[in-house]
Amino acid sequence: MTATTQPVPDSALIGRVMAGDESALATLYDRYSTMLFGMLMRILNDRGAAEEVLQDLFMQLWRNAGQFDAGRGSLPAWLMVIGRNRAISRLRGRRDREVLEEEEGDFAGTFASPQNIEDEAARAQLAHRVAAALSKLPAEQRQALELAYFEGMTQSEIAGKTGAPLGTVKTRVRAAMQSLRQIL
Amino acid sequence: MTEPHANPEDLDLYALGALDGEEKQTFEAHLRSCPACRRELAAARERTTLLGLAAPAAAPRPQAKAALMDKVRAEHRSPATQMAPLKAAKKRWGLRFSLGFGLATAVLAFATFELAKQDLDRGRQLKKMQAQLSQDTTAMQAMGQVTAAPDSAMVTLLQQPGGPPGQAHVMYNARMGMGVYSGQLAPVPAGKSYQLWLVPASGNPISAGLVEANQQNGAMVMHLTPGLVAKAFAVTIEPQGGAPQPTGPKVLVGVAG
Repeated sequence: MTATTQPVPDSALIGRVMAGDESALATLYDRYSTMLFGMLMRILNDRGAAEEVLQDLFMQLWRNAGQFDAGRGSLPAWLMVIGRNRAISRLRGRRDREVLEEEEGDFAGTFASPQNIEDEAARAQLAHRVAAALSKLPAEQRQALELAYFEGMTQSEIAGKTGAPLGTVKTRVRAAMQSLRQIL
Repeated sequence: MTEPHANPEDLDLYALGALDGEEKQTFEAHLRSCPACRRELAAARERTTLLGLAAPAAAPRPQAKAALMDKVRAEHRSPATQMAPLKAAKKRWGLRFSLGFGLATAVLAFATFELAKQDLDRGRQLKKMQAQLSQDTTAMQAMGQVTAAPDSAMVTLLQQPGGPPGQAHVMYNARMGMGVYSGQLAPVPAGKSYQLWLVPASGNPISAGLVEANQQNGAMVMHLTPGLVAKAFAVTIEPQGGAPQPTGPKVLVGVAG
């Protein structure tokens, strides 16, 4: 008889959350709360608000773990997408983003990541690479991308804030995403 | 005539949630009839998701977790009434596991290469991790086999009256003689060990190995004799290092099938 220890896969923990196992939810919280809270703080810049969104996110997972379909992607990616939408809805006082992501269905796409973000060591390395890639972008491209992602601004709002023509905003976002695509 | 594909600029903006106005409506109308653009959008969303990682990781206060778990306990659902979804989820476990492992290996290999170029020390650290991952391959494959097999069964082990709190799960495949244990127990008394037992239909219990009190993040993979049918699983408190047969009190018991 031999025995070895391996991390419990997310999908197994999700199965246990669906079965009402509180400790499985606690394990998922320990695994991903730091990653999620960092993003929520970047968007909301308010510890109390970020903790409330984080709690709502995990309560959604507790109540509706069945909504997460492992066939469509990874759990941390799903949590990032839903968490970002909730934070931006709160930041901007609007509900449409939550509806978009959670009910849109056809266009919601997968919650996959081209990289593995379930593994902690790989995730840390990937975070380092994404941050480094962003820092290398021309300032106006990075600004356009950050206004869209972290502040939830539309292209028109970005144009209004930066004073750049709409076509320029489009080009900047496209160029920034292409650079990230090459790096990632 | 084939409808032209969506403007790539709009695709990225839509993935970010930044496309607005008439352009958004036009884009969505096109998506409804264009599988190729829907695939492109999915890929763009995948890249967009990674942007969140650029934010520095930050820890919420401990009381945030406590508040969450209080709320969860207030809405507690009984495990016994919810076993069916667990079996359905089990089928995805193996697939996700094997895919996750493959991706982890690929990412680690890539990161090793990149970092070795940039920073030799960090590259060496990653190579060490890669070696560890390689050593664990057999165990990970075993876990994947058990969780993917349609004839594997999940057994929930519950605490015993008067005993310390705890709960655990064993996914076991009798045909392969392999199982996966994960669970949470009270800290083990000094000088003692928790030991997992397979109780066969007849004969003495068979040791399935020692388990840690907190085996939530790390599952234990057990290898027993193929064809060994389990009537139940139990965890007992034994002298440190374990015993050939159970001698101490049962802290968790779960009846199979």
